[in-house]
Amino acid sequence: MAPIRDKFTIHSKATVCQDVDLKGDITIGPGTIVHPKATIFAIAGPIVIGAGCIVEEAAIIVNRRKEVMRIGDNNLFEIGCRVECPSVGNNNTFSTRSRIHHTVRVSNFCFIGAACLVVPTEDETLDEYTSIYGPAADRRVWSGNGKVQEADLRHKHTEYLREMLPRFNRLRRGDGT
Amino acid sequence: MASVQYYCPCFSTSSVQQPPPPHMASSSSSFHPLHSLFFCEECDAVRCNRCVSVEVSGYYCPNCLFEVPSASVRAEKNRCARNCFSCPLCRATLSVVASDPPDEDDGRSVAISPVGEAPFFLYCNYCRWDSASVGITFEKPTGLAAQLQKFEDSAPEAQEFDRLKEHFEPFLRTSSLSSSANLSNLSSSHHHHSHTSAATAAASAALARDIPGVSKYQPLTRSRSGRDRTANKDEMSEYKSRVEVGVLNQLGAGGGDDEDVEYMKHLESAGQVAALEQRWANSWTTSIKTSELRPLRIPLHSKVTKRCPTCRHILIKPEQKAQSVRYKIKLVAGNYLPAIGVTLPHLQEAMKKTAGRPSAAASGGEEKAGGGMFAGRSYPFHLAFTNPLYDPIQVRLSVARVHVAAAAADGSDSKTRRSPYSISLPMQPFPVAAFAEAWEYDDDEDMFGIEDDELGISGAGSRLAREKEAKSKAKTVGVLEKRANVTVVGGEVTIGKEARGDVKFNMLVSYTYRSDDPMPIDSDQSRPSSKQPEHKTFTFYTVIDIGSIIPREDSNTTAI
Repeated sequence: MAPIRDKFTIHSKATVCQDVDLKGDITIGPGTIVHPKATIFAIAGPIVIGAGCIVEEAAIIVNRRKEVMRIGDNNLFEIGCRVECPSVGNNNTFSTRSRIHHTVRVSNFCFIGAACLVVPTEDETLDEYTSIYGPAADRRVWSGNGKVQEADLRHKHTEYLREMLPRFNRLRRGDGT
Repeated sequence: MASVQYYCPCFSTSSVQQPPPPHMASSSSSFHPLHSLFFCEECDAVRCNRCVSVEVSGYYCPNCLFEVPSASVRAEKNRCARNCFSCPLCRATLSVVASDPPDEDDGRSVAISPVGEAPFFLYCNYCRWDSASVGITFEKPTGLAAQLQKFEDSAPEAQEFDRLKEHFEPFLRTSSLSSSANLSNLSSSHHHHSHTSAATAAASAALARDIPGVSKYQPLTRSRSGRDRTANKDEMSEYKSRVEVGVLNQLGAGGGDDEDVEYMKHLESAGQVAALEQRWANSWTTSIKTSELRPLRIPLHSKVTKRCPTCRHILIKPEQKAQSVRYKIKLVAGNYLPAIGVTLPHLQEAMKKTAGRPSAAASGGEEKAGGGMFAGRSYPFHLAFTNPLYDPIQVRLSVARVHVAAAAADGSDSKTRRSPYSISLPMQPFPVAAFAEAWEYDDDEDMFGIEDDELGISGAGSRLAREKEAKSKAKTVGVLEKRANVTVVGGEVTIGKEARGDVKFNMLVSYTYRSDDPMPIDSDQSRPSSKQPEHKTFTFYTVIDIGSIIPREDSNTTAI
């Protein structure tokens, strides 16, 4: 098995803490914030994360496939979630301790509720505005009401973190080694 | 899992409380875990939730924790009058949010005012349902219940109910007036009527008094003396409902069966029909479509005061504030009765062995870890007694006779097959130390095996097993350990060869404690029999469930 080559391309405007576990070929876009103790493993293929994303503590983003795992803009990966999807769109929210398998492709404006397991046996793509909730991971389609307020809230969230995190945590400089 | 439950005699009149046989399913209702029992000091008796008498001490909303005075509880139909609603899909609490500001063309950097703009609607944080899809929006973010009030009142069911009330009211009022006023004028039939509806008479008498300052309602006096006398109770005019039942069917508003069948025929997914849990909190039947579920106001909860049924002593009295979970008076059985815990040492050994390995290996050891005991073997078990009192106690145990196994040892009877196991417990009383702070205890060394001369054995069991037991180490039965205010005693259960089912037995526990009752002033001090500290004994039954038995034919196929 080929050893994993670490190659980090971290934008200068991204905020990545020192204590993050990175492995493999990872690209992080501007404005993205990665909390300490997060884990991003690009084991088999590279991971590309877009702009304005927030990856919180104990979140695990894993790519076990050879293809590129593309994550879009303005996503929120809450504490303890585990994401293995081959592609993620924009403005999604993965709540605390949720788990998504590599068979799912997530589009835009989706919301995966807390502790939900999204583990379908076959490949599928979640429609836009899908929201998954409940212990049995029921689904429904969100009407989109309130999405502007939520986007605004996410924006404020990233701004606040960008200001506060460096005060209390060491940052990793994007050297790549 | 092994468990211990306590017996509450409830209202059994016999002085000797005889608990029902434990293996019957119907007797499970008289056995309770210790944390759900109360203890009345006056009667010196255990009380359970079934025998206490309950009164309401206050109402509050579980969401906003607002204490609702009991007068307005009825007015608001037992629901919260403020902004508390429950989501129809997931029954979480809804929050009030403002609508999005209108979209600009550039999409971003639209100033969002902190207050938000109308129209406001309800939004569920959990499943992202919002009330705009049902058409409920508000102009102001506060006082939502009042804004919804007009919609609620205009529902056809509410209007029907009001009409019914209006229809019956005059009859009730005349009957109450006639009963409360000159009784001598009435014929016997009216007397009869007033006796049978004393509650409604009282209610409508109160209704009649509710009109202060307004002169006496003239038509009533007219009707009372006039023609309505004959028309009073015996002839009530027929009630004509506002909407005919057949019309409702066609409207399909929550009652039409044909409508529902049509809808079901064209279903695309099961999620389109509202589940039972989403619908049964409604006051009347609503439509079965999920898309028509409406948010409900959150129903109120009540705080109750519990009293002993015989002496009316208060056992539980909560605090008045809705936020506090403490109690002003809390007489729970856990503060008076020793807590008993039962463990099986061989299970703990098995669990420790499989703890390191992942769950795949646990299935291999699951015959033992699953609480099963093989038929034809004997297992020791530990009983841990925790003393809650500030005085040391002496505990004596005995196993209650199992009536079922009366058909003795020659059993090819089906009854003996059900539970032939024998229990041996230490017969002699053992002490349990008093409860004190942790730093007050000395380090006691483990005291092992009081050699019991007599091992008490009851129930049916093979004689061979009994002899074997006497030869085996007597150290498994007896006081095993004394630590702080906990004493662990060991017992042993021997399972017969043909046993099946669960191992459950009733155990009688009696403990003696020194009670510091102050001597009455006028007592004679020279009486030698009464010492200053009295010893009181309390007795209660418990049921101990050790686990289930793996019958012999199954155990042959598994690896031991």
